Amino acid sequence: MLRILGKASSINVRKVLWTCREIGLPYQREDWGTGFASTRTAEFLAMNPNGLVPVIEDEAGILWESNTICRYLAARHGRTDLLPASPRGRALVETWMDWQATDLNSAWRYAFLALVRRDPGFADQAQIEASARSWNAMIGILEGRLAATGGLRDRGGLHARRHGAGPFGEPLAGDADAAAGLPRRHGLC
Amino acid sequence: MITVWGRKNSVNVMKVLWLLEELGLDHRRIDAGGAFGRTRDADYLAMNPNATVPTLVMPNGFTLWESNTILRYLCRTQPGGNALYPEAAEARADVERWMDWQLAVLGEPMRVIFWTFVRTPEAERDLAAAARARDSAERLWRMVEARLGETGFIAGGFSIADIVLGCFVHRWFALPVARPDMPVLRGWYERLLHRPAYRAHVAQPLS
Repeated sequence: MLRILGKASSINVRKVLWTCREIGLPYQREDWGTGFASTRTAEFLAMNPNGLVPVIEDEAGILWESNTICRYLAARHGRTDLLPASPRGRALVETWMDWQATDLNSAWRYAFLALVRRDPGFADQAQIEASARSWNAMIGILEGRLAATGGLRDRGGLHARRHGAGPFGEPLAGDADAAAGLPRRHGLC
Repeated sequence: MITVWGRKNSVNVMKVLWLLEELGLDHRRIDAGGAFGRTRDADYLAMNPNATVPTLVMPNGFTLWESNTILRYLCRTQPGGNALYPEAAEARADVERWMDWQLAVLGEPMRVIFWTFVRTPEAERDLAAAARARDSAERLWRMVEARLGETGFIAGGFSIADIVLGCFVHRWFALPVARPDMPVLRGWYERLLHRPAYRAHVAQPLS
């Protein structure tokens, strides 16, 4: 049976759990990560040298990186409704997965760790506000996409829920507004 | 003809230009981003609402953004692409995890170091932040060092995982930071330097 290593509260573990449920794939999940079994142990690092959750193990071996895991599971189980077979359809799904891993993730992390997790390392008010602004700009881009397509075919739903539940202000309305609010993103170097 | 929007000193544009040359695909490039602007113009946002570079436009008009997604799309659709992006689910996932790892893990500390020493005036540099980022980057390049020791390339033979990480390893060796000896990583970098497309598009002075 598929083995999933990672605590269920991790947003990246949740992507994998949700994908498994959509596919109808049975799994066994083990609690690893902050507050549970340490991912810094030699046992865990031998599976994932990053020391991050989630990790999966199936008959083919070990895999890490949550978006890669979701694509792998959908491909192995022929779920072309979740991950289209055509290069074009597939690329349009992957764009938004990559966007989550980079721009969206960079935007939201500071505000979330400060305001929800109350992490004392994330207490700078200016940075909280900058993060919330960026996050709203990114959610605005998502809003524009959803308005155009009626759905992303993606797992952004997890993220939208986290945004909607937080004290971060209302998302912007559409593409143009979102672009106007975009911070300069040095990640584009 | 294929069109690539994006300035050539963007690490993400470099990935695409390198792959296009490896596949022998004619293309034109239009400067955008950074000092060139254009990415906030309405016509650009209609192609790429994220206002980033690169954006790829295929001859049939199909438009795509996110550099790693562009690499996978080109490999799936263009002659010779399969050799750089294996089809079997397990091998494909092995390539993809290192591509995702660049996005999610390696990219940020490398961004901080690069931005500090290349794009920030000396008087304004946050050297403490750069030092922390360097420490992170060293730990991450050690992961690559260990990985290369098993396989010679990032995932089996030369693949788009090498293209993605190869764009960053040039910066690692070119930036003015302390680097412990990592002979396997250095050997891989030197092998990449034998590739004309790498020298042309990636192994250039930093700017």
